[in-house]
Amino acid sequence: MSKASLSHTRLWILENVWAKITSIYTLQILSDTSGFMYAGIAFLDAVRASSIVPEHGKPPTSKIYAAVFHMLKTGKSLELVVGSYKLLVDLNKRFPRVYLSGMDDSRISYNSPSQLVVVKEAWSPIIECLDNATAVGEAGDKQSGGSLDPSSFHVLIEELAEILSETKFLAATIKPLRNMLLFQYLVIVFEDDFLPRNATLNWSMQRESLLSLLLGSRKINFKGLMKDCMAIICQLSQLLQSELGKHLVLQESSESKLSKNCYSALSLALLGVLKDTCASMEKLLVMIMDLDVARKKANIEGYTTRADSPRTPLIDIILDELAYHKDSVPVFLKVFSEPKWKLEIVVQYLSKYITKPSVRTRKPNDHTEDSTFVGALKCFSNKTSTKSLIKKIGADVVQFLLAHGYQAQLSILSKGNADGNIAGDKEGGVGALVDLCHTFISAFDSLRSTDEHMEILSIVKEALFTAATIISMKS
Amino acid sequence: MLKRQLSGQSDIGPVSNTNSDGYERPFGFRGRRRPSQIPSCQKQKGFMAPLLQFYDSPCFALYHYREQDKLLEKGSKKAKTKAKKKKSSYDDEDSKEAKLTRLLKAFGEEQEIPLWGVKVFGNQKAFPPLEFPDIGSCNLLQSFLNDKLNSVVELTVDKGDIFLEGLLVNGWLSELAFLCGHVEKPVAIWAFNTMLYSSKEELQNSCSDFWCAILSSEKEVDKFPVKIDWFPEYTDLRRALDIFGFLFKFSSNDVPNNLDSDIEGPPQNIRSWIRFINSCCLIRSKKAIFTAVEAEELVEIIICLFLDRQLQGLLVLLNDCMEAIVNYFTDHEWCSSCENIAKFIASRVSKDLNCIQTIECISETSSRCKQLRSAVAYQTLFTCFDGVNSGEEILRSLAAINFKDKSCDFFKMYIHLVLIENWVLSNSLIEDNPVIYEMFCKMAKSLRMKDLEILCCIGTYHIVTVHKDSWDSQNALLLLSMRCWLKLVHDEVLAVA
Repeated sequence: MSKASLSHTRLWILENVWAKITSIYTLQILSDTSGFMYAGIAFLDAVRASSIVPEHGKPPTSKIYAAVFHMLKTGKSLELVVGSYKLLVDLNKRFPRVYLSGMDDSRISYNSPSQLVVVKEAWSPIIECLDNATAVGEAGDKQSGGSLDPSSFHVLIEELAEILSETKFLAATIKPLRNMLLFQYLVIVFEDDFLPRNATLNWSMQRESLLSLLLGSRKINFKGLMKDCMAIICQLSQLLQSELGKHLVLQESSESKLSKNCYSALSLALLGVLKDTCASMEKLLVMIMDLDVARKKANIEGYTTRADSPRTPLIDIILDELAYHKDSVPVFLKVFSEPKWKLEIVVQYLSKYITKPSVRTRKPNDHTEDSTFVGALKCFSNKTSTKSLIKKIGADVVQFLLAHGYQAQLSILSKGNADGNIAGDKEGGVGALVDLCHTFISAFDSLRSTDEHMEILSIVKEALFTAATIISMKS
Repeated sequence: MLKRQLSGQSDIGPVSNTNSDGYERPFGFRGRRRPSQIPSCQKQKGFMAPLLQFYDSPCFALYHYREQDKLLEKGSKKAKTKAKKKKSSYDDEDSKEAKLTRLLKAFGEEQEIPLWGVKVFGNQKAFPPLEFPDIGSCNLLQSFLNDKLNSVVELTVDKGDIFLEGLLVNGWLSELAFLCGHVEKPVAIWAFNTMLYSSKEELQNSCSDFWCAILSSEKEVDKFPVKIDWFPEYTDLRRALDIFGFLFKFSSNDVPNNLDSDIEGPPQNIRSWIRFINSCCLIRSKKAIFTAVEAEELVEIIICLFLDRQLQGLLVLLNDCMEAIVNYFTDHEWCSSCENIAKFIASRVSKDLNCIQTIECISETSSRCKQLRSAVAYQTLFTCFDGVNSGEEILRSLAAINFKDKSCDFFKMYIHLVLIENWVLSNSLIEDNPVIYEMFCKMAKSLRMKDLEILCCIGTYHIVTVHKDSWDSQNALLLLSMRCWLKLVHDEVLAVA
């Protein structure tokens, strides 16, 4: 027997034994007994041993993938949920669905441009042919091998938003943790699929990404979905700032069905998972905004077709949400750390409210300066416009926007500076940094002179401290 | 609630040949086996057929009913007669499933019994008070006091602590560290202690992020992007673990492990601790924070953490950390360190499912991890067989065991098989040793020839006697043995067969 056929046989055995066992258990409500849990753990081990450990292991069959994914979706024990999550993430790394050829082999990449390789037959946790899935409908669930369709993804997000709004139940059952891990896994899948496609800068590739197909599906309400995502990231930010651990301990006395041991395991895992979920949500939002940019570019170049139905760019939805719920400005900016988009959000938010005096009479290249952060900072020198800005969005929000925008710009410049070390462009980088700090301080001075009684937020104090330190050090 | 003891073999109670109602224990658990109950594997072609056949066979059903009978009898006489009725018509294929369903309903509720688990954390000790750096000693804050902007910021000597917290939590501190290329000693110490001893989660997380950020750098291989004036030593990290309540002297052999006791377990800071160790191990080329002996102890600690069920949610974190520490050693150090770790673990962990957990927690992603896995399995085997000098002797003594012997301890067998499998198959060096490898192949082959029933026996024995679980777990254990068998029957072995 050849090695390949042996590998197949082994997977075939695994698939069949598992089918048999699940059929026995699902005869009944037994799927949440410990027996089933033991079986599940042994099954995960066997999948790992036959696919990941051997050097030339074969990817699991779709049925096996679906069985592992099912455990992540419905597992009742922490061990099973965390184990299936880890296995799926490892499988994703080992058997990527989409990758750039020539990335692993340095010899090739120098000569020929890397090409996108899509493994068509690979299993995916999200149904790929979304349009077909609409036609097949509910009955298609079995064919899809347990993969999620767009509407169930939306349901997952809605559930997450709901769960997070009721903090005290977070550690009462495994469900919140399970949903968050499921979400994290899906974001990893989206990322591994989208990033190589996006790197090709080719709209026909970007359009085919799972993320783009999902968002373009008629089964979901894009705006609603994004609003839920915003709600989740803001709730997570608040949770991470609060003394969550103490709340969880207080909850212990309640009628929770979990054993004490299981409870402490859950609450120990939960805080880490909350933090990671927040990071995953940020990644998702960034990817969607990158996708929006790619589509806009393709649209200008005339590559889009009627199939690429237009939708509101995510950044507009975020700006609307932040304008509507002013309270969420600080919490959102606190956790959203990706500097490029953070800066973009701050600049666009400010430019919405900064009154531009007689834009038409100015030279056209002045307009480009307005759309940068430094440009926005310079607008503060105009007292009347600053006054109306404070009146419109409140002194606190203005301060938050200023401080976070400054931080994002600082981090972009300091990263550029590190790159500049090699290029020998250090002088220019430092100059830009010091200029930024001076402009920030003077913008703040104008802000303060407009409203003498303004209470200065601690984050602004810290920003000023940072600016002063940089100036004294670099000059 | 049934509680599993972790004290070595003593928890495998005596097994009687017959039950109170006179039924024999099926599959010869130290008892006589009925030939009719054994699936006739020899006749089947293809190695999957026997097991599937077994599931479909009437003996499987019979076995279910018999086990069920026993349990029902404990419950009520009425249930017993019912079950007996069912048993009498077990071969009626049409009604089999319906009956199974009814039985399953009766025993749907099950108690949670952990398979493995050791409490490696006792009570937490008093956390040391957090001391804020004196502004005078911290140049970063001191130099700002005279800045004209301080009229707005209002930084004073006595409010320096709160201000520093703000700088850290809002991300300015790491930004400044990279821009200045410098982290001062008082700040580094303060961030380290806050990470490990602060009960405020946000602060603790931010400190962990800060340290991981300044330690990691993608670009330079042998130089930090940031000059760090102070690094913790191993003793600082060990002290922290001690304060968290870690039982350095635990041994799953002698601790009365009450898994549901009122011990509070480790604080949330344990996550930062693991993450920090991970980061420290990745920077060896720039700074060797641990000596080889200290790193050995760290591997041992991480393996112990894997044994605590309270930490099972941190699987991903622990796995990453384990890989990082194993790769921390130089090639020269690794040879002896690997053996030292294996000996330590083998001497501490009881020879039950915990010793299998210690092996399975070591992922097989790198050749070093595989080597460690093999070594731990090997050393554990030595502690299982007293007075044995070599691996060959172990294999020989195992091959000599007659599975059909009444005194054969199947649970022990199961443990030994898993250990041997990991010892031989995780180590590529052993494949070069023709004697051992041939012996192993022979054993695996003979096991295969001896039919699946043996492994099924091991599995069923396991639940019936060790976990006293209701019968539905046996499917699970069948799979567990299936897994063991799947791995045993490796490509080479199969190719020979």
